[in-house]
Amino acid sequence: MTKLIQTIVDGLGVGSTYALLALGISLIFGVMHLVNFAHGELITVGAYASYFFFLHGGSWWWMPFVIIGSAVLASVATELVAFRWVRNASPFTLLLTSFALERLSHALWQIFVSPKQRAFPKPAWVFNQFKVAGVSFEVMDVVTIAVTAATLALTAVVFKRTLFGISVRGAAEDFDAARLMGVRANRVISGAFAFAGLLAGVAACLILMRSPAAEPSMGSDWLLKAVIAAVIGGLGSFTGAVVGGLVLGLLETITRAYLPELAVGWDKFSTAVVFVLIAVFFVIRPDGVFKVSHAERV
Amino acid sequence: MLEVDQITTRYGAITALHSASLEVRAGELVALVGPNGAGKTTLLNTVAGLLRPATGSIRFEGNDITGTEPARLVRAGLALVPEHRRIFKDLTVEENLRLGGSTASAHDRRERLEEAADLFPVLRTKWTTSAGYLSGGEAQQLAVARALMSNPRLLLLDEPTLGLAPTMVDVVFDLLQRLREQGRTLLVVEQNATRVLQLADRGYLLRTGNIVATGTGADLAADNSLFDSFIGLEAHGREA
Amino acid sequence: MSGVNAGLLRLTRSTLASAALVAIVAALAMAYTSGGGASRDSLIAEMLSNFILVLGMQVFIGNTGVLSFGHMAFAQIAAYATAVVGIPLAAKAKALPDIPFGLDSVHYGPLGATVFAIVVTIIIGGIFGIAVSRASGLAPTMITLAALFVVEQLVKNWKELTRGAGGLSGIPRLEGNGWLWVGAFIALVVAHLFQETRIGRFAIATREDELAAPALGIRLFSARWAAWVVSMGLIALGGSLRAQSLGSVNPKQFTLDSGILILVMLVVGGMRCVSGAVLGTVLITAGNELFRQLGDPQRLDIERFPDLFLGGTMLLVMLLRPGGLLGDRDLAGWLRRRTYRRPPPTGEEPRAGSNTLVAAEIEVHFGGFVALDGAGVTVRPGEVVGLIGPNGAGKTTLFNVITGIVLEQGGRVTLGDRELTDAKPVDIARAGLARTFQNLRLFKNLSVRENVALTELVAARHRSHRVRPDADTLLADAGLTEWADRQAGTLDYGNQRRLELARAAALAPDFLLLDEPTSGMSDQESQAMVESVRSVATRVGAGVLVIDHDLGFITRISDHIVVLNEGRILAEGTPAAVRANPLVAEAYLGSSA
Repeated sequence: MTKLIQTIVDGLGVGSTYALLALGISLIFGVMHLVNFAHGELITVGAYASYFFFLHGGSWWWMPFVIIGSAVLASVATELVAFRWVRNASPFTLLLTSFALERLSHALWQIFVSPKQRAFPKPAWVFNQFKVAGVSFEVMDVVTIAVTAATLALTAVVFKRTLFGISVRGAAEDFDAARLMGVRANRVISGAFAFAGLLAGVAACLILMRSPAAEPSMGSDWLLKAVIAAVIGGLGSFTGAVVGGLVLGLLETITRAYLPELAVGWDKFSTAVVFVLIAVFFVIRPDGVFKVSHAERV
Repeated sequence: MLEVDQITTRYGAITALHSASLEVRAGELVALVGPNGAGKTTLLNTVAGLLRPATGSIRFEGNDITGTEPARLVRAGLALVPEHRRIFKDLTVEENLRLGGSTASAHDRRERLEEAADLFPVLRTKWTTSAGYLSGGEAQQLAVARALMSNPRLLLLDEPTLGLAPTMVDVVFDLLQRLREQGRTLLVVEQNATRVLQLADRGYLLRTGNIVATGTGADLAADNSLFDSFIGLEAHGREA
Repeated sequence: MSGVNAGLLRLTRSTLASAALVAIVAALAMAYTSGGGASRDSLIAEMLSNFILVLGMQVFIGNTGVLSFGHMAFAQIAAYATAVVGIPLAAKAKALPDIPFGLDSVHYGPLGATVFAIVVTIIIGGIFGIAVSRASGLAPTMITLAALFVVEQLVKNWKELTRGAGGLSGIPRLEGNGWLWVGAFIALVVAHLFQETRIGRFAIATREDELAAPALGIRLFSARWAAWVVSMGLIALGGSLRAQSLGSVNPKQFTLDSGILILVMLVVGGMRCVSGAVLGTVLITAGNELFRQLGDPQRLDIERFPDLFLGGTMLLVMLLRPGGLLGDRDLAGWLRRRTYRRPPPTGEEPRAGSNTLVAAEIEVHFGGFVALDGAGVTVRPGEVVGLIGPNGAGKTTLFNVITGIVLEQGGRVTLGDRELTDAKPVDIARAGLARTFQNLRLFKNLSVRENVALTELVAARHRSHRVRPDADTLLADAGLTEWADRQAGTLDYGNQRRLELARAAALAPDFLLLDEPTSGMSDQESQAMVESVRSVATRVGAGVLVIDHDLGFITRISDHIVVLNEGRILAEGTPAAVRANPLVAEAYLGSSA
């Protein structure tokens, strides 16, 4: 029983990070029909920013602001520099553009900083443990779930209550109709990228508190899972992204924890199993769980 | 108030409008009628800034607005209720209206939300419903209310009775009359040519991208060869 | 031209084009290696195995337009398959003592190992390809990505078979680059040939327009899967030869990174044609090496400089020239145009078919909205029926029901005695209904002739009982002969419409279904369209069902007109009768308040 609870808590922890990243990906897809493979690089930006600031006397009291701030700036920059120029191109071109940015980012970090990992200190309390009803938890678990819940709440408020959020949702559904309302195209898109950067920044904080190190290609692994979560949930759907992320996280931790028991000798294949399941899912339901419909004109 | 001067608009290889010109004076209700595919929507979309004409110019209240972004036009007092309404189905009625009023100050927006609810009581009952669940008639009212949120002096309407039941068609025509009484200037594209011409001060007949007839609403409505003009027979003589 | 002769001509063209490309690259390679030592030879070896991998990806991605990140996974399977049967038995027993499947006693020489690897990969990849080819939208790409990770995990963890992260060495190495050149040549011939086969051309059509291809009788799944399977063969060849060239395999050889390198090579030159793939490989290999040397500690001392080059190049190409440097300019394509021989006309006079098209009592509702309420239409052989009605009347919906795009909730559609009610668009097309689209869906990057020839191919197999005019005859009818070799997207609007008409007619259909063929045309062009439609329909002996808003056009061309309003039939009859019917005028103009 305790193992189950621990596994679920772990799963929610990992899943929360996936959910935040997937949300950013769905958001950008909604306004631009682009699956942004460069989104994971925002984590890398946050990591190197942390490394740099820690070298010059940083503290985890204000590091989160640096991380989030740098992620937001980087996100808006990628739109200005690259995505704006391919705004109406084919999905293939959009995808490859985001890929090119990802590669470029890896290369630039390798060249201008170092290909090796650069570590910096973690907050002292991260792995402190405490017990509740016989189950031991880490402080970080609680922080992760709390911060994610707060961020999701913030997202809901922004997108349901503020004019900016409503504009983005409207633009995602019908871009031209939004323009007719007086919504400025460039602002909406930049705004969406900025908010996605915020979400990635929060995710980066959670990641870096656990493993405080900066490495050129660290964003890619996270990105991949986030994209899968977003696509499973249904690209463009907020609920879908969150659900997709949490489910993926739980799936990972549960298969890792229980698969060896169910099938002896298969523990090594837990990750493989997850991916096979994902592949099967895509055959059965290619549009994701929460399908966001777009009319096709014949 | 609005002067459209010989605009030609292209979609890729197609020329949708050939040197079309029309004029709307302040306080008028001008009707734009014609068969489908004639370019009526293209004309409205060009005026509203969604399309850029290849040649020609458009002036609004004396200012050149050719090729101006829709967002700027809304702030200048020109709004379009697009064909098929294009309400935001994922947003609630209130959110649709707020978005329509996004160019106004928060205070004005609040006031106009109240006015919208007064003018369209049925919307008040569906305030927090997703717009995707509205009936055709309700959706049309929402689309007009949404456009009114920016308090436009010139309102363009593209086929406001499309797909509506006869009783709702009456409601829409009443609405047009009321808007006109409010002092707004209206340019209306309508399928129901006979009826809109009876209501209009003046009208234009558009066919295959060309303005082929113009006159007062009453004159055009009484014209018996209107249907033939629709078909295009008067240009080619009687069909064998 | 007989089938055998045509096949030989295709093989000759492919061989010639491949030989020419190989010769050019060989000349460049010789110039390069004459100046240096062994390291240059191994760069050429790497380039050659990259060649084969690039061509493997070109066959699928270039011809179907579906992005795959996972091809490297299958190259990896091939590489390991080669290792597992190529390593001498004694060494194998030491490295993989617990190897499953009875492979401990299996040993093949280089050729056998390569063939074994190709077969294994085609089987595994082929099964996987079924999932990829069935999916739509972004899903195929995600599935291939999943494949990459599944294989990576399997290779790292199935230690009995792969020895895990350490990899396997001791594969007998190829001497010199000779076999790599042979492999590259074979890959080129296969890639060229595929684009000339029936199924290859179909795959290209699905790339151009996913909706129009099935509407002309091309099955999406078959075309995509065929491209996938062939690409598996080539990717396996590349993976196997690379393993034998290096003498070892390990999980780091075929990561996503290396896949990106291959992808950049494919995309930079132009993925749609083989020449583009070749150009891209040469340029990126050269650039990569140049940047590596520049980044050398003795010079600029920038580590991983080539990565910058790769990312930057891909970004620039996407921003400035998404079709790649060559786009559609292909050596093989040029050869095809020079060696084109028009087949002799059959000389038979087309007869109208005997099947009647009937759509009856059709009901369609979208949620609460009733689009069609018992409407229907009948078209007799050789007849021209016009379908008109005001906006929102349901004409397009009825059309889409007949052509299989929209599912009806009630009613039947039959062609002769064949039931088409629940059929899919591709089967409806093969049954004899060819359609055009309101938004004009030509295969824009393909030549004018190829647009029509594709449907001809479908007709040859599925409409063999009918007289089929050849592509050039139809082009001549439409006045398009002088543009036959031009890309369809470069034609002016009126000609594009006529081309779409000719393309549909090449199916030798029982009926042509035309969706607003005069949309966007002036009065003059509409007049001309009447003649175009009539002559095409007569040429193939087809009846016509046409929707249009240009009532003048409809009145001139139709034998019989059906007027829809609010999802029901309002009136029908001869053009004169319909025009005189006051209800029709009222439907269009509205009535007084």
